[in-house]
Amino acid sequence: MNNYLFKDIYVGLEHAFDATIDASMQEKFIAISNDTNPLHTDVSYAKSKGFDGTLVHGLLTSSFYSTLVGVYLPGKFCILQGIDISFSKPVYLNDHLHISGKVKYINEAYQQIEIKAIISNQDNVKISKATIKVGIMDE
Amino acid sequence: MTKDEIFSGVQEIFRDIFDEDDLVIQDSTSSEDIEDWDSLNHINLVSAIEKEFKIKFALGELVSLQDVGEMITLMIEKMK
Repeated sequence: MNNYLFKDIYVGLEHAFDATIDASMQEKFIAISNDTNPLHTDVSYAKSKGFDGTLVHGLLTSSFYSTLVGVYLPGKFCILQGIDISFSKPVYLNDHLHISGKVKYINEAYQQIEIKAIISNQDNVKISKATIKVGIMDE
Repeated sequence: MTKDEIFSGVQEIFRDIFDEDDLVIQDSTSSEDIEDWDSLNHINLVSAIEKEFKIKFALGELVSLQDVGEMITLMIEKMK
C-alpha cells in the first residue's frame, strides 16, 4: 500500500493496476447488494437484450476505483469524498481490467485532490471513467 | 473583470454545486442560508472557484470569511 502525504502529491502523478472479476466475486457482490437483476444472473435474458452474456455490475467494477485511491493514489491516508462515474461499455466475467488514475487538480487549502480515472478492458476499450475527489489526512 | 462579472460567475458555480438552477446569491449569503452548504460542498465551492477564476486560496484566507461578499472581496484582491 502506498502512503503518499499531501506534500508528496503533484498534478500528473499516476498509478495503475490490473484486476479480473470472476464468478465468485460476482456472487459475493450479489449477496452483499442483493442486486439480482437478470442482466447479471440470467444468460438468456442478457442475450435477449443484445449482450454477449451476463453483465458484471457496474458498481462492482467501480469498486476498483475505491482500491485505486485507498491503496495506490494516495493510499493509506486517503479519505474518499466524492466520485462521479460514467459507464460506456459492458463488462463480462473474466474480462481483464486495467484501472488507472492521474492527479488532475490539487486544492491546497483543504488538502483535497481530484483524480481522473478510467477502467479499460483487455481490448483496450474504455468501459468507464470517473472523477474522484479524495482528501488526504495527516500522518 | 468587474465585480458584477465575478459575482455572476460565482452564482453559476453555486447553482451547479447545489443543483439549483434558480438559486440567487447575495453578498450576505452564507452557509446558514443554503441547507446543503456543508463542509464537503464548501471544498467543492472553493475548488470550482479556483479553477474558474484561476486563483489559489490558502486555508488562512478562507477560515475568517463570513459570507459571499467577503469571498468576492478576497477574489478581487487576488485577481489584481
